[in-house]
Amino acid sequence: MKGITRVLIANRSEIAVRVIRACQELGIKTVLAASEADKESLPAKMADRSVCIGPEKAAESYLKVNTIISAALGTGADAVHPGYGFLAEQPGLPEACAQNGLIFIGPTADNVRKMGDKLLARKMANELGIPVIPGSELVKDFEAAAKAAEKVGYPILLKAAAGGGGKGMKIIEGPKDLNVVFEEASAEARAAFGDDRIYIEHFIPNARHIEVQIVADKFGNVIHLFERDCSIQRRYQKMVEESPSPVVSSRLREEICSSAVNIARHIRYENAGTVEFIFDQDQRQFYFLEMNTRIQVEHPVTEMVTGIDLVKEQIQIAAGQALSFHQEEVRLVGHAIECRINAESSEDQFRPCPGRIEQWAQPVGSGIRVDTHCYSGYFVPPFYDSLLAKLIAKGGNRHEAVDRMKDALAKFVVSGINTTIPFYQFMLKHPDYLSGKLNTRWVEDVLLQDYARQREAGGFYQ
Amino acid sequence: MALISHEDIIQILKMVAESDIKELHVETGDLKLIIKKYGQEESVQQLESSPKRLTKEKDFEKPSVPLSSQTFVQKPQPVPIDEEDGLIPIKAPMLGTFYRAPKPDAPPFVEVGQLVTKEDAVCIIEVMKLFNMVRAGVQGRIAKICAENAQLVEYNQVLFLVENIEEGKNPQ
Repeated sequence: MKGITRVLIANRSEIAVRVIRACQELGIKTVLAASEADKESLPAKMADRSVCIGPEKAAESYLKVNTIISAALGTGADAVHPGYGFLAEQPGLPEACAQNGLIFIGPTADNVRKMGDKLLARKMANELGIPVIPGSELVKDFEAAAKAAEKVGYPILLKAAAGGGGKGMKIIEGPKDLNVVFEEASAEARAAFGDDRIYIEHFIPNARHIEVQIVADKFGNVIHLFERDCSIQRRYQKMVEESPSPVVSSRLREEICSSAVNIARHIRYENAGTVEFIFDQDQRQFYFLEMNTRIQVEHPVTEMVTGIDLVKEQIQIAAGQALSFHQEEVRLVGHAIECRINAESSEDQFRPCPGRIEQWAQPVGSGIRVDTHCYSGYFVPPFYDSLLAKLIAKGGNRHEAVDRMKDALAKFVVSGINTTIPFYQFMLKHPDYLSGKLNTRWVEDVLLQDYARQREAGGFYQ
Repeated sequence: MALISHEDIIQILKMVAESDIKELHVETGDLKLIIKKYGQEESVQQLESSPKRLTKEKDFEKPSVPLSSQTFVQKPQPVPIDEEDGLIPIKAPMLGTFYRAPKPDAPPFVEVGQLVTKEDAVCIIEVMKLFNMVRAGVQGRIAKICAENAQLVEYNQVLFLVENIEEGKNPQ
């Protein structure tokens, strides 16, 4: 491709495999930057070349901007793909790429910075006339927090201004819990982001997490690829995603999607990104939450229902090409669901289970897609996150997608380590899931209790 | 204050190496120089300099081959370590560009056959204008140089093989 002939992938696991595949389709050479623990991994074997960038510890390998840049320059790469996590949302990487004549496959440093400060992003959405959850400015101390909380109304959420991904986030039901939790939240924010600035948001109990996929080129064309519903969460971590959302009407869809496009356009966003919203099911009102300036784990859900290859689009946009399609040409066809298969024991409070996979046989079939870096004999290292695979099922409608997912999970064989497959099998039989009547607290408030009860009784819902 | 030249830095390095100083920080203009002496575990010295300054002073450790024009080498074969011959590897402590000499026209730090002590500098690894001096960490005779000058080396890649000459083994 003009402008990009060799891509260095500064990531690991299934997303590295995903990016290598996209590059191969486009006739682009690949270099994988791998830590010592990932030297023999599947993406390392698939890439045209792999280079060892440092020891297992991410802080000494995947998180080192200078090492990534040196590896790219030293192997003759002309572009860097960050994947998700690690350096994907650090403005330092796109900056260093620009300084060294490398193309960063992602948004500009300015885009990343603008959306990295959650409080500023909120303010910007508000100025654009997009609803934001009632909330406060920064609160300096407990007194200020107490005052702001009364104004916003309990229950409230304490959030880190530099936050994201649920870190430093605390729900407070009433004033008596505020004192202790306030100190905890600022300490947690300081530890996670090096920034203890806190603000308060009204907490919406009956909420769904709805997000909109955006792609934008360097010529100001911004297109949305509809929404994903990511309400199945445990400890603010997404477990299952689907598109379209079972609760979003076509009118609401139009409103949410055009809000997302407006935000992206306002900051002159480039490349793929996701605008997240909270949908209050009681008030039938949506609110802007934050924007993620990277490709997301759950992007295949959107790919399955739109037929658009988001990673290929990312590379083409970064190479300076205009989007090859118009908004009217993007169609949402059918229904797709993704389950994140983790190396965790769902029977034992989701305890991480790294180790040797003895047998790995993934399902195939109509509408089934598996994104993974695992195989029989692969050793799951204990140094990184526990995602083993993303199982995606597509059907003509939600019902068919659910049936295909059930069938695929039943045929997914993993031995040697524990996975979350049994948990998803249970979830797919639950009447709340099937009817779509749930919210972001459903997993913790309902599903996990029922799951524990079923295991005790040896066959609830069987 | 006048600009610090490359020769000055080498001079400072030598002085530090011969002294008991464990760590030295020098800041002048936009040049920042940090020298740390590590034990044998981490035998690396680091020279830090802001990229701004380096683009101004072009003669400073400019690699003889521009990095971007380097040919793409297919998966390099790992160097087998012959344990029976008692050869000890000196491995790259980081990914970067391997330089055998302190500057392009200077003689290399070491040649095959040369005796080295643990403290002897054997090469420089550059990570984005950060020059890391690598010390032998072992005592012996350089038996083989396994990496090519001005090429990318990976973390833990074998750079040199050293024939171990221990005092106990060679009483004469």
